[in-house]
Amino acid sequence: MNLAEGVQVVSFSLLSLMMLGSALGVVLVSNIVYSAFLLGGVFISMAGLYLLLNADFVATAQVLIYVGAVNVLILFAIMLVNKRQDFAPVPRAWIRRAATGLVCVGLFLLLATMVVVTPWAVSTQVAAGNSAIVAIGKHFFNDFLLPFELASVLLLMALIGAVILARRELIPEQPTAPAQPPALMLPERPRELVSAGASRSAQK
Amino acid sequence: MFVLSGYEYLLGFLLVCSLVPLLALTASKLVRPSRRGPERRTTYESGMEPIGGAWIQFNIRYYMFALIFVIFDVETVFLYPWAVAFNQLGLLAFIEALIFVAILIVGLVYAWRKGALEWS
Repeated sequence: MNLAEGVQVVSFSLLSLMMLGSALGVVLVSNIVYSAFLLGGVFISMAGLYLLLNADFVATAQVLIYVGAVNVLILFAIMLVNKRQDFAPVPRAWIRRAATGLVCVGLFLLLATMVVVTPWAVSTQVAAGNSAIVAIGKHFFNDFLLPFELASVLLLMALIGAVILARRELIPEQPTAPAQPPALMLPERPRELVSAGASRSAQK
Repeated sequence: MFVLSGYEYLLGFLLVCSLVPLLALTASKLVRPSRRGPERRTTYESGMEPIGGAWIQFNIRYYMFALIFVIFDVETVFLYPWAVAFNQLGLLAFIEALIFVAILIVGLVYAWRKGALEWS
């Protein structure tokens, strides 16, 4: 039993709305953590669109890698930077905005023409579900073997690079290293926030 | 044209899932007392007292774990088609997949030896 045509149309429009809304939110929301979570929304909507295109393996990979790993990595990077600040308004911001808008519209037009012009080789028989995954596996170990193994080498390079970058001696030391609690622990509680809890414990 | 089967259950599941936060928030709005005060603004009203702000700097080790997780996540996705097509691929593909895993295990051993997987 397949999904009805109307259900597909409704799902497609909902997913597109979700994707466009979240993508706009990523750009427009000033809080960077909200932006990161909205980026997860974009990735999830993309996975839904892949699913509607019968590409369930791609959808799974999208959720696993982009939502589950890359987005988490972005969030951790934001938490690592730990800067919540309001940026001062830049003088003559409209020039930059206009330039950014121009570049974005140009990029969009370029991609749109590419999508329209490219003669997509649409195969008549759709490989979907398990047969698609089997086809991908066969390609991995026949004609795409070298890229497959190179991907492993690329991952190895990323891993070793991350380990080298995050090693202790390369992290800049805090000036008051012994007095400073490690960043893993919660900092000392500010006095003014205590008032509610302190007054309550004093009454006990 | 949508040809995958069984996804109407996923759709129903998603619909039910989207109702859960809606119902939970509505129910708690109906039930909860409308008292105001400093306690009400705490993260866990009856739990531990929060100390400091939520915007603290995280240790870089979280990032390290996330990075290593990403790498092995990608490896899993690469190996999944091999596992599904295992019966039709044969011994050579098995050896090739072993090479793929072995290259990444070199990285894991390196990270392990360098102490990237340890706290403190």
